[in-house]
Amino acid sequence: MTTPLHIPQHILDDMVAHARELDPYECCGLLAGTNGAVSHVYQIKNIVALEGAEKLSSFDPAKVAHLERLSPAERAEIAFVMDMQDFSVAKKDIRNKGLDLQVVYHSHPHDPARPSITDIKIATDYEEIWPKINLPIPAYLLISLMDKSKPDIRGYWITNGTVTPAPITTTV
Amino acid sequence: MIKVRIPTPLRPLTKGQGEVETKAESVLDMIEALNTAHPGIKDRLCDDTGELRRFVNIYVNEEDIRFLKGKETSLKDGDEVSIVPAIAGGTPCRA
Repeated sequence: MTTPLHIPQHILDDMVAHARELDPYECCGLLAGTNGAVSHVYQIKNIVALEGAEKLSSFDPAKVAHLERLSPAERAEIAFVMDMQDFSVAKKDIRNKGLDLQVVYHSHPHDPARPSITDIKIATDYEEIWPKINLPIPAYLLISLMDKSKPDIRGYWITNGTVTPAPITTTV
Repeated sequence: MIKVRIPTPLRPLTKGQGEVETKAESVLDMIEALNTAHPGIKDRLCDDTGELRRFVNIYVNEEDIRFLKGKETSLKDGDEVSIVPAIAGGTPCRA
């Protein structure tokens, strides 16, 4: 799971375009490929604005309390919840193409490209889930739009609550 | 018996158990049986109309029930079911 990540420039561009399209709301998605070499991007709907999503059991009580004070649109500025129907469709396509999940990405429209406490908690909860649904533990990629003209993209491994940078190489 | 894997966020409802066993002939049966043994779990999985929430997946032997027969998907002895909450995250809470 410490395989170096290689992401072609056109896929980085696709992710930034996705983040900008949804700005000021958070976007989310998956990258798939082989042995760290990414070849496909899957945009997933952020359904945090759906009724009930703010109470997602994965969120810690402080996050739920915070989200409950916000309107659905405001929630989508500071959180994402993947549409699991989209996720399953993507998972099936990844499998059919003989690829593997490499990366889970999301954007931070107003904040740095660093995993939040919520990101780390949920990634840690998920460590035991990935093998049970026959997927490898992915890297996590954050796109910050704090500087709108210069999006910042950073990758991380999140293992047992510990975050380490996942270097990304690219080619045009 | 059906083996059901419970994700960390739902374990407060199962007294901390990561895996529970139940008798059920369909996913719907399983949800009802789980809710009887662990009240409140159905509400986490289904909306008011009884449909599976879009921020939860249920896999039967690694296949999403949405690609099978949904809640009507039949279960047999020895099947393994995984309840998988949505991948989620967010920016830091601000005052």
